[in-house]
Amino acid sequence: MTGHDLRTERLTLGYGADDIVRELDVQIPDGAVTMIVGANACGKSTLLRGLARLLRPRGGAALLDGRSVHEMRSVDVARVLGLLPQTPVAPEGITVADLVGRGRYPHQGWFRRWSADDDAAVTAALDATGTADLAARPLAELSGGQRQRVWIAMALAQETDLLLLDEPTTYLDINHQVELLDLLTDLNRARGTTIVIVMHDLNLACRYADHVIAMKHGRIRAQGAPEDVVDADVVSDVFGLRCEVVPDPVCGTPMIVPRGRHHAERMTPELTAR
Amino acid sequence: MSAPVLEAPLVRTGHRARRRRGIVVTTALAAFAFALFVLTMMVGSYVLSPWDVVASTFHLSADPAVDFIVHELRLPVAVTAVAVGLALGLSGHVFQTLLSNQLASPDFVGVSSGASLFAISSIILFGMSGIAIPGAALLGALTSAVLIYVLAWRQGISGYRFILIGIGVSQLMSSIVGYVIARSDIYEARQAMVWLVGSIGQAGSPELGALLVSLAILLPVVLALQRPLQALELGDDAAKALGTRVEASRLALLSVSVALIAFATAAAGPIMFVALIAGPIARRLYGSAPGGLLAAGFVGAVLVLASDLVAQHFLPVALPTGVVTGAVGAPYLIWLLITTNREGRGG
Repeated sequence: MTGHDLRTERLTLGYGADDIVRELDVQIPDGAVTMIVGANACGKSTLLRGLARLLRPRGGAALLDGRSVHEMRSVDVARVLGLLPQTPVAPEGITVADLVGRGRYPHQGWFRRWSADDDAAVTAALDATGTADLAARPLAELSGGQRQRVWIAMALAQETDLLLLDEPTTYLDINHQVELLDLLTDLNRARGTTIVIVMHDLNLACRYADHVIAMKHGRIRAQGAPEDVVDADVVSDVFGLRCEVVPDPVCGTPMIVPRGRHHAERMTPELTAR
Repeated sequence: MSAPVLEAPLVRTGHRARRRRGIVVTTALAAFAFALFVLTMMVGSYVLSPWDVVASTFHLSADPAVDFIVHELRLPVAVTAVAVGLALGLSGHVFQTLLSNQLASPDFVGVSSGASLFAISSIILFGMSGIAIPGAALLGALTSAVLIYVLAWRQGISGYRFILIGIGVSQLMSSIVGYVIARSDIYEARQAMVWLVGSIGQAGSPELGALLVSLAILLPVVLALQRPLQALELGDDAAKALGTRVEASRLALLSVSVALIAFATAAAGPIMFVALIAGPIARRLYGSAPGGLLAAGFVGAVLVLASDLVAQHFLPVALPTGVVTGAVGAPYLIWLLITTNREGRGG
């Protein structure tokens, strides 16, 4: 538990002429791992950007401990709430340790520059993400999975009680996806960090989430524990996908098996019987 | 291994080592710039010793003949070279870092050609002189920058769009300069052409005064803005998530750089390529150390001092500074274009 409260009140967000998220009320459970899922363009990344004050609301507000994040000082928000954007930019030639050190920005100031606290935070972040051995290497030399771990290390070095991540597993192979989600689970269990992830892969979302928020057309279609929320009806409604939902053979969380058009008749007898 | 365990984290994060490298590089560049500063005042039709130059510059001795040569003839030129170089280097580094592209320097994207156009027009069309010329150059640089920014704006600013539109604006400004010169009489046209190549020696005292005052004000400002600049390098979203006030910081950084390049252009004309190459050279020397803004400024000073030294003394005939910087800068630009494309760093 972090003791922080993050929620929205009738939050409306949009780009250009279109409202993407409409009058949304949502409470992010404290100290839990929350996954936001939904089809492309359902507003899940937009909601995350609104929560992290990257996008100014058109109506309503995103509230951190009862105060609108857009009315708080940016540094005060950044000390409590961290965000890893979908496509952060690495400055040319930057090394791993230097990049992770940039996460200390909100803890420094005009007069308070680099300190022992900063060293400790960077070291802890490198250790937690298993990137300590890479510290002196330029980021450009690393593989995609290593790079993503370094970006997460930068977000960890910010030492926030809440961490928001926008599709952190995109571009990673399945092995690195699982590794990354394990890492975030460790963080949640060890420090009680509240974690919010926008996620594409429903099966991994079900397995790793304490709380799932399923969005459709900028509104919440269903939310709660994965076992209570994710069933064939919800998936069919949110993703427009006919599917079976079976228990994950490893941990029993819901697992989505799509039907598709070509494979309907080749179902195994036991599934047909259900 | 007998190293104390406590030191391990410090060594691993390497922050102190990087900062030490930064301080060493910056100090070395400053010392090199100072050496060149002294050297430019030593050479000429009457050769002075380094001690004569230093003593006279800082009023440590009083030899009327030496003082005349230093204070009246050589010091203003050397000070101009340092100030122009600093301004160009700082301005180029800020632009390149903000747009995360090495081609995005203010002399390449048309900010300095805007300054040139307004300065030339104020001389030829309106017969202005003195302090009005830096004013006109500042107005021109601002006009160019605002024009590029507005035309390139599409839900934010992206590197390549900004550069392509900047090149367009640069062409537009240069063609109007051509028109203005075509309307002038032959004497003015000759003056204007010399001015357009860019030369340290041409700075009059009002232009130099304006440049020095603006440097005294803007140098601390731009150094204070280095912190948000480092956050902005990570992209707008990441910078905002780290608690930077993105729009305000970017506007402040761009304004300061535009002002610096404007005053430098007003003093010495559009000395090409210095702003373009100072930042990358400083970055090379800096390695992975963060920062490097001041180092880029000193590299700029070194480049201008060295170019002017070569242009004035080491060639069969004395040439404007801009000819030498152009001769060095153009091949670099070609190399940059080739390697940037090969690495596919679009931006």
